[in-house]
Amino acid sequence: MEAEPPPTPVSPEFSALTLDALNDVHRFAWSLARNAADADDLVQETYLRAFRSWRTFLPGSDIRRWLFTICRNVYLRAREREQRYAPLQDDEGETLQAVEQRAASLRQGMGVALLRLDLKPAVERALDALQEPFRSAVILVDLEDHSYDDASAILGVPVGTVRSRLFRGRRILQEQLMAFARDAGLPGARHD
Amino acid sequence: MIDGPSSPTAGALSCAEAAEILWDYLDDELSPEREAAMRAHLAACRPCLHHQEFERAFLDAVARARSSDPAPTALRARVIDMLHAQGLMP
Repeated sequence: MEAEPPPTPVSPEFSALTLDALNDVHRFAWSLARNAADADDLVQETYLRAFRSWRTFLPGSDIRRWLFTICRNVYLRAREREQRYAPLQDDEGETLQAVEQRAASLRQGMGVALLRLDLKPAVERALDALQEPFRSAVILVDLEDHSYDDASAILGVPVGTVRSRLFRGRRILQEQLMAFARDAGLPGARHD
Repeated sequence: MIDGPSSPTAGALSCAEAAEILWDYLDDELSPEREAAMRAHLAACRPCLHHQEFERAFLDAVARARSSDPAPTALRARVIDMLHAQGLMP
């Protein structure tokens, strides 16, 4: 086997550009990993891979999008290695129509009271429990404020798939919040 | 883009069509024409307006779960040290 060539240092411009995005990458990594130690590892591995493959970055394109793509790939590979990653299929489970019908009854049951609560702890727990591939779509669009096009590029799937993953992911989150409301004893939050 | 029959009572969209494009509307993913049609529908249809308010409040609640903490200084230093050690950083 031939010896690996020594690494080529990146340009100062590339270095500055990527490190400027470190806060964004860290926040995204934290959203995916949901704990500080794993998020830090994820950020380090993301930067290592980014700097090793810096020639694949197209100058002038969105550096955050490129780093987020690497970060998510690193995250998924790590989860595969840990054998605790069993992504749901996009078409698994209910039809979109069935989900929408159930969502309508959720809205009725949940009522406005739920929306007045401090939902942050409940939302964080629900995000923790949300499975791939819905999790990444929700994080990218709802937490990171990416467009569907951006999310499509980062996830490597068509925009329509991003849309359906978001739809399912949000419905799953709403069901989790409904359970939270029931546990909190909200009168409107009941099984119908 | 989703096209369909218009409703004579609530702008150019029926309630079913409005429900179908609601997430796109809330995510600012509609064309200006479709967005205008959605606004017109919501202005004329109270149930759809309530639906929209609910989903927007839900999205706001999810967005508030976003971490606003910057990356720890120690992490930034570790990343830079690692890249130097790997010979990847000038």
